[in-house]
Amino acid sequence: MNLLPDTYHIQQTFSAYCRTGEKVRLPGVTPNRLKYYRALVFNMINDTMESAFPIAFKNIPVRKWNKMVKDFFANHACQSYQVWKLPLEFYTYAVENNWEEVYDIPYLNDLLGFEWAEMEVYNMEDIPAPPFTLQGDWLETPLVLNPEHKLLSFAYPVHLEANPKKMIQNKGAYFVLLYRDAETGNVEFIDLSPWLAFLTEQLVLGITVRDILDYAPQLNITDTDTLEEDTIDFLQHMQQQHFVLGFQS
Amino acid sequence: MVGIGFRREFAEEMISGEHIKPDFIEFAPENWMNIGGYWKKVLHRVVEKYPVLCHGLSLSIGSPEELNKEFLHYVKTFLNEYKVQLYSEHLSYSKCDNAHMYDLLPIPFRMDAVKHIAGRIRQVQDYLERPLAMEIVSYYTPVAAEMSEVDFINEIVRQSGCQLLLDVNNIYVNAFNHQYDAKAFIQQLPLDKVAYIHMAGHEQVAPDLIIDTHGEPIIDPVYDLFEWTLQHLQPVPVLLERDFNIPEMQELQGELSRLKNICHKQWKLKNELVA
Repeated sequence: MNLLPDTYHIQQTFSAYCRTGEKVRLPGVTPNRLKYYRALVFNMINDTMESAFPIAFKNIPVRKWNKMVKDFFANHACQSYQVWKLPLEFYTYAVENNWEEVYDIPYLNDLLGFEWAEMEVYNMEDIPAPPFTLQGDWLETPLVLNPEHKLLSFAYPVHLEANPKKMIQNKGAYFVLLYRDAETGNVEFIDLSPWLAFLTEQLVLGITVRDILDYAPQLNITDTDTLEEDTIDFLQHMQQQHFVLGFQS
Repeated sequence: MVGIGFRREFAEEMISGEHIKPDFIEFAPENWMNIGGYWKKVLHRVVEKYPVLCHGLSLSIGSPEELNKEFLHYVKTFLNEYKVQLYSEHLSYSKCDNAHMYDLLPIPFRMDAVKHIAGRIRQVQDYLERPLAMEIVSYYTPVAAEMSEVDFINEIVRQSGCQLLLDVNNIYVNAFNHQYDAKAFIQQLPLDKVAYIHMAGHEQVAPDLIIDTHGEPIIDPVYDLFEWTLQHLQPVPVLLERDFNIPEMQELQGELSRLKNICHKQWKLKNELVA
């Protein structure tokens, strides 16, 4: 490296100021101009987070939100060279720093996780689906699912409820399937029962519906007369919704 | 050739070509690489219709740290996949202490920085197997300068062998903010190295400060400086940047047409003189 330590240090000081906004002494700068850099840089980060997490931004009081973004940008070294991936670092930082408790927002991790997953699935690289046919046996033939999906579990119904109080009141076990519709490119999501979440997880592994149903009693799933029929109804519905693509060929 | 920065906000209008017809488009690889779904399909449609130039955001050529090899690999793959005709970047830094800042910070105008940056440009050019066109960025304060801005730029070009992206609006903004003569500045540049021109609008935020926002129409004095500049250059592609406050397409087409008319006038005249 040809850079002298003094120049290196000046660049570090300047960038540290942009990240924290804390006063620094730099030689040869025009008075009152540094603040524009801090504003430009910070506004970019803030805008990115606001657009990535619109529900969280709406729910969280402005002072708390600003504190979060400032904390994140000052103390986390942003790694992504693609701005659209930066919200993942924000979400991860929130989880690692226990923001749920620090800011007394119990559903925060779930909400940030859900909003990030929508963006991630929307932008994710195309994943080719394995070959499939439209003819097959719903019970005996392994199904081919849309590979562009994510299965998530939450303690709060962040995907169903926008009201923070109701989210907290309805704490429980929630499962959400997000997938990208190959035709429209839109991200769709659906709330799943624990059984359907288990079913989906196993289907991804190539296990047949018959084998998954056989396993149901071990999960304390009551194997009612209609479980098989209801399960197939769900899968047929998901075929219409472009999540179940067909049968392994 | 007069093109426009391709943005998602007006992607469909660009593809339809009904109200706006640029000669080429430009976009940042960082905003489009490694994505799929709807926007990848849109990207494929638009690159089938227009020639593509790329203008990077995250190379951070002025960073004190090592270049990011993984990033360069993705850029190279992307440029090759989309048959990108020219790749430009910024003469600034946006990453320090291993942290991206997503904006263009001014590099200290110093000889050690020149050597450092020239070496990095050579590394990038060698790896990408194509020349880099480096943009002279707008800046709002110098930082610990030990040489003039124009000497700094000339030395980098000389030592690295890079091309220049001359953003005429940036020169106007810098001349205003730092109180120098824009034309005298341009005349001191290695104009034979200019491979590309950018034009944009800006916003005056204080009596003595303009911010380069790309959110307003180009103002007349910048058009005048552009016209004057063309008299000193061989024909190169010209790009209109509009990133915020996106107007109706007819308004952008009006700006493209005005730029195109100036190019025709100046470069036709110049060719006639040469002939």
